[in-house]
Amino acid sequence: MIDDNGASAPEHSPPSSYDGVSPSDGGTAFRFTGTWTEYLPIALTNLALTIVTLGIYRFWATARTRRYLWSRTHFADDTLEWTGTGLEMFIGFLIVMAFLIPFLLFFQFGFQALLLRGHWALAIGGLVAFYVGLFYLIGLATFRALRYRLSRTYWHGIRGGSDDAGWGYAASALGKTLLSVLTLGLLVPWTMTRLWNERWSKMSFGPHPFRAAATQRGLIGRWLLLYLTPVIAIPLVAGLAFAVGPRGGMSEGGILVAFAVVLVLYLLILLVSLAYYAKFYRRAIGATALGPLDLAFTARSSDWLRLIGGTIALIVLTLGIGLIFVPYRNWSFFIRHLEATGDIDLDMLTQSTARGATDAEGLASAFDVGAI
Amino acid sequence: MANAWLYDGRSGTRHDVAVAAGADGLLLHFADGRVEEVAAASLFHATDRDGALVYGRSGREGWRLGLLPPVPADVAAMLPAERRYGSWIDRVGLVPALAALLLASGAVLGAGYLLPGALAPHIPASWEKRYGDAIVGDFGGKFCRGPGGAEALQKLARRLSPGYADFDIRVVDVPMVNAAALPGNHIVIFRELIAEADTPDELAGVLAHEIAHVRRRHVTEGMIRELGVGLVITALGGTTGGNADMILGSRYGRAAEAEADADAIAALRAANISPLGTARFFTRMGATERKLGRLGAAFSYLSTHPLSDARRAKFRASFDPNRRYTPALGRDEWEAIFNICFNDPAKRAARGQPRALPPAAR
Repeated sequence: MIDDNGASAPEHSPPSSYDGVSPSDGGTAFRFTGTWTEYLPIALTNLALTIVTLGIYRFWATARTRRYLWSRTHFADDTLEWTGTGLEMFIGFLIVMAFLIPFLLFFQFGFQALLLRGHWALAIGGLVAFYVGLFYLIGLATFRALRYRLSRTYWHGIRGGSDDAGWGYAASALGKTLLSVLTLGLLVPWTMTRLWNERWSKMSFGPHPFRAAATQRGLIGRWLLLYLTPVIAIPLVAGLAFAVGPRGGMSEGGILVAFAVVLVLYLLILLVSLAYYAKFYRRAIGATALGPLDLAFTARSSDWLRLIGGTIALIVLTLGIGLIFVPYRNWSFFIRHLEATGDIDLDMLTQSTARGATDAEGLASAFDVGAI
Repeated sequence: MANAWLYDGRSGTRHDVAVAAGADGLLLHFADGRVEEVAAASLFHATDRDGALVYGRSGREGWRLGLLPPVPADVAAMLPAERRYGSWIDRVGLVPALAALLLASGAVLGAGYLLPGALAPHIPASWEKRYGDAIVGDFGGKFCRGPGGAEALQKLARRLSPGYADFDIRVVDVPMVNAAALPGNHIVIFRELIAEADTPDELAGVLAHEIAHVRRRHVTEGMIRELGVGLVITALGGTTGGNADMILGSRYGRAAEAEADADAIAALRAANISPLGTARFFTRMGATERKLGRLGAAFSYLSTHPLSDARRAKFRASFDPNRRYTPALGRDEWEAIFNICFNDPAKRAARGQPRALPPAAR
C-alpha cells in the first residue's frame, strides 16, 4: 500500500522508448500521489468561483478537480490525463435541461390539476409513465456518464470510450429495476452484477474491450443481512427502548428515546449496507478485465468505514467546508485500492476508434448519478 | 534544446525528443534523426504532471508533448499560456474575475428580486384566473358548503375590501390551521383555522391579510418567481443557485408578509373591526407552537406566516381604546362559518354534529 504523500514512489527516469509495460512489476499498478496541500488552493478557488457564479462554475470546477486528480494518478509508468472541459459539461447539461424542463413542468402542473379535479385513473397512469421514463433515463445517464469519463481519460495519449449509445442498456436497466421491485428486492444482487457486466462489457480503452463477468455468488448472504436488518432490528430496538425508556407518549424523554432508536437503526443499516457494497465492488471490479489486464479492488468494509467516518468527521470539524475535499478523498480511496495485473504491449495500444461522447455528463448531472 | 517526451496519439509508445525553437514553431528531434516541425499556433497547454509542462496539439487527438525543465527561453517564448480557471478568467486574473462575477450575480439576483413585482401588474387577469382555476378546481371535492357560510364569508370580504371583493373564498375540509391566497383570486381557509378562531374578529384579521396578498398581486409575483426566475436560477446553478434563490425567496416572502399585515390593519380600521382579535389569535398560535414544538407546527399557520412579537405588537398598537368597534359578523353569520363543514350535508357523515360556538362569541 502506498501512503498519501507518495513517499514510496519509485524514481522516475523513463528509458528512451517502451515496447511494453508490466504494471505489476513495481508493486501496485495504480498509485495516487496527490497531496491535500496541492489540492486545497484548487478546491478553495473552485468554491469561491462557484459561489460568485451562483453555481454555474460547478462544471468548470469539476473539470479542474478531475484534471488535478487524474494528473496525480499513476498507472504503471505514467499518469492519467483528464481532457474533459467545463464548457462541454455545461453545454451537455443545458441540452438535457432543454428536454427535461418542459417535461417536468407539464407533469408537475398537469398532475396537480388532474389530482385536484379527481381524475384518479389519469393521474395514476401519468405517474406510472413518469416513473418508467425516469428510471429509463437514470439507466441511460449511468451508461453515458461512464462512457464520457472513459472517453476523456487518456493514458500514453490513448483514450477509452464506447461505440454503444446505451439505449439498450437503459431498457435492460429499467426491466431489471422493475423485476427487483416485483420480487421485493430479493434479486438486487443479481440485477446489480448483471447491469455492471452489461455496461462495462460495452466499454473499451484504446483497442482493448473491457470484459466483466461478475456473478452474485458471495453477495447474497450480505444482501439478505441488509434486507433483514430492518425487519429484525426495528421490533428489537423499539422493544428495548420501551423497556428501558421513560413512559409517556410525546414527553421530552419519549422524543429523545425515539430519536436514539432511529439513530441506532440508521447506523446499523449504514454498517450492513457498507458491508454489502464493499463486497459488491470487490467482486464486480475483480471480475472485470481490460484486454490483457486483470483488475482487482481491495477495499474491505473497514476501509469504507474509515473513509466515510473520516469524511463525516472532516465535514463536521470544518463546519462544512470539508465538503470540498470529498471528491479528493473518494478518488484517492478508489485508486489506492485498485490493482491491475498483466502486460500491455504499448505498440499495440492504438488509439480508440470509439465515437467521442458529445453529451458529456448532462443527463447524469441532471439526475445526480455517479458513473461506476 | 529542451528534453521532452512525446505521445503521437496513434499508439501508446512514448518517444524521447529534443525540442528546439524553429522559425514559427517547435522543432522536434527524434532519436532516429527524424525532425518534425509543429506550428506554435496549434499548441495548447493541457496539464502539468511529474514536473513536466504538457502541451496538446489541436486537431491531433491524444498528441502530448511533455517538456522537462529547464526549458530554454526561445522555446518557452513559443509556448501558449497556462490554463487554470478557464479561458477569460485566466486573462483577467482571479481576483478581478471574482469581483466582476460577484457584481454580475448580484445583478442577476437583484433582477430576480425586482422582476416579478414589475411584471405582475402586466399579467392579464384572465390568464391568472384560468391558471388558478386549473390548479384549484374543486379541491378534490373538499370545499365545505354548509348553508349560509359562503354568503357570510363574502359579506365579511365586502366589508374588509369595499369596492373590490371579486374573491372566491372557500373553507376546505382539511385538518390544518392555515389560510392561503392562490392564483386567480382564490382564497382558501383550512378547517382547523376556523375551529381555532374564537371570534369573527379573529377570522377578519386573517382574511384581511389574505385579501391584501391578492390585491397587491403577491400571488402573481410569487408565481412568476417560482416558475420563471427561481426555476432558471435553480436549474442552472444547482445547489448553490438553489440556496441563493431560497434566501431571496424568504426575504421576498417577509417583505410581502409585512405589506399584507399593514394593509390588513388599515382594512380593519376602515371597516371598524377591532384589531385585538387578530392579536389574540396570534398569541394563541404562538402558544400552540410552543406546545407542539417546532416540528409539530411545521404545517401550521406559522410555517407560512412566521410570527414575530413585532407583528403582533403592530396589530395591538393599532387598537384605539376611544373607538366603538363593531363585531366583524353577527352571531348567526359567524355560526354559519364556524360550522360550515359540519352543516354541509355531504360532510356530515364524516364530521358529526355541528358544534356549539366558543364562549367568546356568545
